[in-house]
Amino acid sequence: MMEKVISGNDAVALAVKLSRVKVTGIYPITPQTYIIESLSEMKDRGELETEIIRVESEHSAMAATFGAAAAGVRAYTATASQGLLYMHEMVWWVAGSRIPVVMTVGTRAVGPPWNIWNEHTDFMSERDSGWIMAFASTPQEAMDLTITAFRITEDERVFLPMMIGMDGFILSHTKTRVYVPSQEEVDSYLPPRRQPYVLDPEDSIAMGNMFSPEDYMKLRESIHRAQIASKEVIVEAGKEYMKRVVPIGSYSTLNESYKLEDADYAVVIMGAWSLDAMQAVDELRKEGLKVGVYRVRFVRPWAEEEVVKALSDKSVLVLDRSVSFGRGGQLYTEVKASLPDTDIKGVITGLGGVSIGKNEMKVIIRKFVEKPQGIEWFYPEEARKIELRSPRYIK
Amino acid sequence: MSLGVRDILNRHKLMPGTSACPGCPENIAMRIISTALGENAVIIVVAGCSSVIQGMGPNSAYNYPVLNVAFAAGPAAASGIAAAMRTRGKNVKAVVWAGDGGTADIGMASLSGAAERNEDILYICVDNEAYMNTGGQRSGSTPIGASTTTTPMGKRHNKKNIPFIMMAHRVPYVATASVGYPHDLMEKIRKAKEIRGFSCVQVLCPDPYGWMFEPSKTAEVAKLAVQTCYWPLFECENGILKISDECLHCLDKRTRKPIQEFLKIQGRFKHADQQKIRELEEYVNEMWEKLKLMYKGNLKL
Repeated sequence: MMEKVISGNDAVALAVKLSRVKVTGIYPITPQTYIIESLSEMKDRGELETEIIRVESEHSAMAATFGAAAAGVRAYTATASQGLLYMHEMVWWVAGSRIPVVMTVGTRAVGPPWNIWNEHTDFMSERDSGWIMAFASTPQEAMDLTITAFRITEDERVFLPMMIGMDGFILSHTKTRVYVPSQEEVDSYLPPRRQPYVLDPEDSIAMGNMFSPEDYMKLRESIHRAQIASKEVIVEAGKEYMKRVVPIGSYSTLNESYKLEDADYAVVIMGAWSLDAMQAVDELRKEGLKVGVYRVRFVRPWAEEEVVKALSDKSVLVLDRSVSFGRGGQLYTEVKASLPDTDIKGVITGLGGVSIGKNEMKVIIRKFVEKPQGIEWFYPEEARKIELRSPRYIK
Repeated sequence: MSLGVRDILNRHKLMPGTSACPGCPENIAMRIISTALGENAVIIVVAGCSSVIQGMGPNSAYNYPVLNVAFAAGPAAASGIAAAMRTRGKNVKAVVWAGDGGTADIGMASLSGAAERNEDILYICVDNEAYMNTGGQRSGSTPIGASTTTTPMGKRHNKKNIPFIMMAHRVPYVATASVGYPHDLMEKIRKAKEIRGFSCVQVLCPDPYGWMFEPSKTAEVAKLAVQTCYWPLFECENGILKISDECLHCLDKRTRKPIQEFLKIQGRFKHADQQKIRELEEYVNEMWEKLKLMYKGNLKL
């Protein structure tokens, strides 16, 4: 293990190398592009064993990555925003096939209008796809989750793909201190790849052809059951990672609690801005407000038991950096479903790169203490009014 | 002892009990192609009739490892499989099996990308000239004048010439074939499999239901398409174009069978007026003018 000062994109690229990924289908999109550039540079320097397929779209990036994984090797890709939406069909195809694949989503707003800045709606739009979905809060965690993802996805209780969300720019481009494990440490942690279905000339299996409605439904149920079963696998993989690879981090649970034990109020949040929330909480506690943070790391599987245990006796504020139009924030909806009898307030903010830091968090939390219900949209400063043009009839 | 066609075709890998319609050209194609392809191949099937023909899982009538994928995903998935097999040290050909919709329309970008990268894959397009699996809607590969369920009075636009588009990618091997000429098709598949790099074969597959002819006449229609020169048989290896023997008569307009003989044996051109027929003839003529130039070495795409 050695210390480096690197960006989230660097950290993920190193994780891909250390995990001995054999094939990657790559296609550029901001803000993850530097991951695939970094892999390409390592390849040309002769430091990377991965075969790189430089495809012509994200749909093909996932198709090529999936093809390689179905043919029995560790495979990885990265995307964001429009790219994730463009590959949506293949995202589902991979999960339905029960083929382990790992992907980074450098989260970014979805157009129109064009916007390259951070929000989580792209990532959250895949939560019904069958993928295991984790979200990093630091470059270190992006690296850790990427390496553990190969162990989790290739576990026989799981055999599902996994995507790791990483806030665009805030994590992808910001350099921080990262503990980078050695190749030996990662080798000792990641077992050789296993999978139930492999394309092999000696084995004439058909993958993905038609099934009867009953068989199809059984397979769908098995994906759900594998998601539920993956909870213990994730915790095992996390603990083992801290033991063998990088001995920091909080991976003995799916999600993370911060100063929640004696708290009356809890802020539920996911991603890089969780750390801003923690700073805000530190300062508000000095003013006598008993508030803590509950950081969601896994969206799928949903850590129902952990959420109920951590939050059922609190007044809960959920911050969403994403929105499901006509319903509200996705995290809000998830938490509400776990805690139907608890007062919960949902705040949607930070979309499209709207900057929310510690001070804005304090404003949001204070307002929440005054009125702990409902869904609000929060703007850090007075935003100008945006209206559609008045309509006209078309000749 | 010499082998007859029947003996050779008994080596195919299509198992009985497929869900194909009577007279299905794709089953004929699979029988002929698998005979030539032999072992050490993985078939990547994109959405189309063959997604259904192979039968209900977990069983399969294709005696190969088969990966079914989304409509536009074939060439990219095959690229991934080829890369994985290389890293595993396995000599296995990734073979995409796609219809004309999957090739000329929705899969065009993926196909073009794989060709440009010169992926070591074999791409087979079974061209029945419409979206037959969804009931016969027009595709980019439907010829002008042909009626389909979305062009009931006949298509107004020309057939997209996929083999020409592929030749323009300067890939090592591009060929056309017809299920009416099994030997020619087998020879081309055998050659394509040995190519290191991208190869593609477009196989004309007359469909009794979409084209509206008797299911017993599939091979006959597939032959007439070639005899009337509507469908050329050629191969282009490293830029050198060769016209197949069955088609050499097409180089001279005077020795071609009238295209009407091909059109009247099927029902899909019955709404086509004289203007449309003339445009179709022009399309065929122009194609042969280009092929002639390429054949003589005076033109490279």
